[in-house]
This record gives sequence, C-alpha cells and structure tokens, in this order.
Amino acid sequence: MADAATRMPPQFELRFLMTQGAFTVAADLEIAARAIALFGPSGSGKTTILEVIAGLRSPKHGRITVCGRILCDTDTHTNVPVRDRHVGYVPQDVLLFPHLDVRRNVTYAQPRRRHIDMPDLDQLLGLTTLMDRKVSGLSGGERQRVALARALYSGPDVLLLDEPLAAVDLARRRLILDTLVAIRDELRVPLVYVTHSPEEARAIADYAIVLDEGNVIAAGVPDDVLP
Amino acid sequence: MQTEILDIAVFTTLAALVATVVMLPPGIGLAWVLARHQFRGKAIVETLASLPLVMPPVATGLMLLWLVGRRGPVGRALAPFGIEIVFTPAAVVLAMAIMGLPLLVRTARAGFEQVTKRYEQMAETLGARPWRVFTTVTLPLASRNILAGALLGFTRALGEFGATIVVAGSIPGRTRTLAVGIYTYTETGQDARAASLLAVSVTLAFGAALIANRLARVD
Amino acid sequence: MLRWWATFALVIATVVPLPAQRPEVLVSAAASLADVMGTIARIYEMRTGTRVVVNTGASNTLARQIAAGAAVDLFISADEAQMGTIREEVVANTTVDLLSNQLAVVVPADRPRTLRSARELTDAAFRRIAIGDPAAVPAGVYAKAHLQQLGIWPAVSGKIVPTASVRLALAAVENGAADAAIVYRTDLNAAHRASLALAIPLAEGPRIIYPAAVIRSGRNREGATRLLAWLRGTEAAGIFKGAGFIPLGQ
Repeated sequence: MADAATRMPPQFELRFLMTQGAFTVAADLEIAARAIALFGPSGSGKTTILEVIAGLRSPKHGRITVCGRILCDTDTHTNVPVRDRHVGYVPQDVLLFPHLDVRRNVTYAQPRRRHIDMPDLDQLLGLTTLMDRKVSGLSGGERQRVALARALYSGPDVLLLDEPLAAVDLARRRLILDTLVAIRDELRVPLVYVTHSPEEARAIADYAIVLDEGNVIAAGVPDDVLP
Repeated sequence: MQTEILDIAVFTTLAALVATVVMLPPGIGLAWVLARHQFRGKAIVETLASLPLVMPPVATGLMLLWLVGRRGPVGRALAPFGIEIVFTPAAVVLAMAIMGLPLLVRTARAGFEQVTKRYEQMAETLGARPWRVFTTVTLPLASRNILAGALLGFTRALGEFGATIVVAGSIPGRTRTLAVGIYTYTETGQDARAASLLAVSVTLAFGAALIANRLARVD
Repeated sequence: MLRWWATFALVIATVVPLPAQRPEVLVSAAASLADVMGTIARIYEMRTGTRVVVNTGASNTLARQIAAGAAVDLFISADEAQMGTIREEVVANTTVDLLSNQLAVVVPADRPRTLRSARELTDAAFRRIAIGDPAAVPAGVYAKAHLQQLGIWPAVSGKIVPTASVRLALAAVENGAADAAIVYRTDLNAAHRASLALAIPLAEGPRIIYPAAVIRSGRNREGATRLLAWLRGTEAAGIFKGAGFIPLGQ
C-alpha cells in the first residue's frame, strides 16, 4: 500500500456559473486535493456548490470534474445523471430515510465494484449497536455516523459533507473529525467539506475555498486563505 | 331473508375490495403525476379526475354504460372475446372503482405533496433509478395517505348507487349491492329488508370512515 | 413480485365475467314489479327448468341500458312512453299490454277518510298532496293527467308535492308530511301507516299499461318468447292478481 502522502492527490475541476433567481454562484478553479473546505458565511453559496457537484442543481454553463471524471460539461452537453455520479452526499439535516431502520438506511445503495466492506465501516463508525434501531430514536452524533455510513457504503468517488459537526455536541466533534480524517486517509475517499469554522477547515482540508455572496474570494492552502 | 341480506353484504364488501385494488394503480399513478409534474392540460386532467365526485352518479353511470355497452367503444372491443360488462359483477366493480377514484387521487396526491423531494434526491445520490426511488422512498413515505385514500375510496364504493344501478342493474345474487338493494326494497315496499340492509351499510361505512379519518389525520 | 401477480390474477378472476353456462332469460322489469317478478321467476324455474334472472330499476334507466345494447331478453316497462323510446330495439310484433294498474288516493292511517271522487282533493283539509314528479315519474304523469281530466289541476297544483318516485309519495303520507298521495293501488300492499281513501275506477282513471316486449339484442329470444307467453297465461295471472295488478291476458 502506498503511503497516502506520496500518492497523487485527486483532481477536481470546478468551473461553472449557476443562477437561481437573483442569486448567482460562480467558480473557476482547478484543484488537486484530498479534502477541500468550502468556507464562508451562511448564504455564501457553499451548499449550492455541493449540490452542483451532486447533480441536484444544474449550472447554466461550465464544467465539473471529480477525480478526473467529467460529471458535467455544458459545452459537450454532458450531464451525468445524479444516480451515476458516485458521490456520497451528507446534507446538513442528514435526511436519513425515516421509514427505514438503520441497517436499511446504511445498505440502501447498491455496493459498487470498489465498495467499502461492512466490517471496515463498522470499525470506523461503530455501527453494530445501532443497526437494528429506528432512525427516529438516534442522537445527533448517531445520525451523523449513520449518514456517513450510508454515503460511504457503495464506495463513492467523493464524499460531500455539509457542516457535519453542526448537530453534534462539542465533546463528540473531535471524534467525528478523527473519523473523517480516517475516511480521507485510510478509505482514501476525498472530501468536500462545507463549514463556517476556520478551525474545522484547517483540521481536515488541504485546500480551502473562501466564498462570499456566491463568489470565490480566495482559494488555496488553508493557512494562507483562511482567517 | 337473513341469508339474502348476508349475501348482499358479503358481495358488496367483496366488490368494493376488488374495486379498491383495481383503482389503486391508476389512482396512485395519477396522484403522483398531479403532485409532481407540471404539464400542459394539467388543469383538464385534474378536473377529469374529480368529475365523478361532482357529477350526478347516474350521469357517470350513463357515460360508463355508453362506453362499455355492446355498442360502445370498449364494449365493442371486448365483444369478440365473449366478455360483456353490463349486468355483471364486473360492472359493479367498474362503477365502484370510477366513483371511488377521485377520493383516492385527492388523498394520495396530498400525501405525495407532503413527501420532501430531498428524500428522493438522497436516494438518487445513492444510485437509485427512478422506479426504485418511487417504490422505496416516495411510496412508503406517502403510504399513510394512500391507505387513507384507499379506505375512503372503499367507503365510497360500498355506498355507490347511481352509477351501479345504471351499468350493473339490480339483479339479486349477481349485481345487487347494499345501496341498490335498499333502493329496490324501498321501491317495492319491503321496508324490513331495506332496514336490515341499511343497518349493515351504516355499520360498514361507519367503521371504514372511522379508520380512514384516523389514518388521514396528520400526527 | 410474485405476490403482485397473485393479487392481479385474483382480481382478474373475480372481475372478468364468464359467459353464462346455462341458457337463462334475463328480464328487465320496472322497479314496482321487483317483488312479484321474484316470485314469478321462482315458479317459472320450477315449472320449466329455465332460469329467469330479473333486473329491476326505474323504467327509464332500464330503457337506457337496452339502448346501449345490454343483452336483455325481455323488457317490462311501467309505461308505454319508455317502451316507445326503444322501439327500434324490440323484436317486431312482440309488444303486448301485459298488466294494468289502478290509481289510488291514500291518506294517513291515523286520519282515515273515504272519498267518492278525487275532486274532493280540493278540500281545504288536504293542504299537501304528494305525487310522483309529473316530469319524470310515470305514476306522477298518470296522477296529473287524472287531475287535469277532472278539471281540478289548476285548483290543486299549488298543493302538489312532487317526489322522486311513487314510493316516496306514499312515504310522505306514511310519515305525515303529506295529507294525501296519489299512488298505484299495488303500492298499498306494503303500506302500514296509510289507508285507502279511494281506488280510482279503471274506467274513470287514466289508461295505465305495463307493456312487455322481446328485445333484439337478447341472447335467448326463444326463451323470452316462451316466458312472455307464460306470463300471459292463467297461472301468472293469478300471481299478478295476488300482488294487486290487473293482468290483461291474451
């Protein structure tokens, strides 16, 4: 196994313009990183970028590439359907399926060739005791773990995380952050991480994009661009 | 007299059940399309779907009679197979299903509208194709309303009279339902029989409506 | 998936009508004949082994069904007008006047009264008179015709309560909502709280005819013809008479 640090970091391309009513989000970036932090105040367009990558929103024009794979290119009329984008998306409100138990939530996706084994997931996220529980009885931290497991189960090309620590109490944040680092380094799933905390961004990302009102105002090494 | 009443009650309940099963696929499909899609002529489809609710049932029955009668377009198409609808239990089921459909569509549609689209989007990001999204996420999340709608449709079917008597007639042991029976017995002055049927029909309708209302309540 | 198919198969099996195995005669008869036709069907099957299936409803509904091509073998209408609307569906020369009925004035049983003529309905004691809606119900048409014939329609029309069926006119008297009703004589068989005030003599009243005819789109024309002949015979006449109808015979 090659050491994580010596491997070529995954390639991303985010060049697009997306408008929604009066709100516009634009980016023009080529990135090589294992974890990208999207940083900025509320309403700056962080979540919109995640949704554009996931395919839940379509840019007016532009090109999105994840790990070298083109997901969207308006010039060639390429638009990979959401279901074939192989992204693991954990929205801020996690959105576990309320009518399914934990096990069925986690195993909802069909495992791909390059999937992640259940024992590995279990070891990483501590799911064993949760598996047969109902979703409605879970705590904030438990929900977050289940949502991560669900997003990872099929072995996605990238994990899109929208403020994953927002609903987790302070004591548990460290634990989840460590887990995310493990996902990044051991499972080798690149992350795109939305946050408004510079500390979190520094702890997890090797590349940061600072957004304000839909515009990229700075991008680069976290220590250089974050406040 | 007792077995006659019992036969009518059992037949009506069975026919209403079959009618409910028959109306479910088109009803759910229509409700979903109306809840989730914008298209030209939607208002027309919407109005058509609620027409049996606002039209006099006898008029609905006459339209059905025209359609499935031996000279109607459907009746003519079925004739070569030796299938005839008018005056058969199939006509009872058809009338019941048509009259129950609007209630099912309305209630199920409200259910689909309550399902957050984002759950469906989550399923999509997890690789689910549209049919799988529908069966594993949309349908289960709307199931409570669909069930309530099915029950309302069933209750409507139980009490259906106007359309039934026109396309199915009132043939004892073949097409006579509770409502049609009450009418026929009243018309011939057999008040005791009419009263027995009335009691059965009130009991059935009360029970079904009670459950339907409980299900439709948002908790 | 299998479960779905099983349900589907069950539904189809329940719903798809199979052609009748045994030749039977399907009779569409006016609602007022439902009871007596039940008896007729039972006895006819006993005598001949032929099954008679009776479909009942308002005569205009029955006529519509026939016009739509329903496979009715024999039609017995409550009036000539409805039979007239389906003239083209009738086998030529099979229409007969099967039965007649008589009009009757009824009053609430707790206020019994005997009239010598329907003319007395102008009496102020009759504040509300129920009849079947003359626009749609045959009994109402007959009742109005009789009142017109007596020349008292203008005097009583303000007191008339039209009802959706002749039974409801009777019910209005039974529950006291009306002081009198004009109904068929046969309707009184089942009346508990109404009493006969006047049976309008056949000669004075309107000609009330229940015509019967063999229908062309039926599947058992021969059976229908034989049944119709039997209905005009003595045994059937006895049964009809027992129910208050006037058999018109051969």
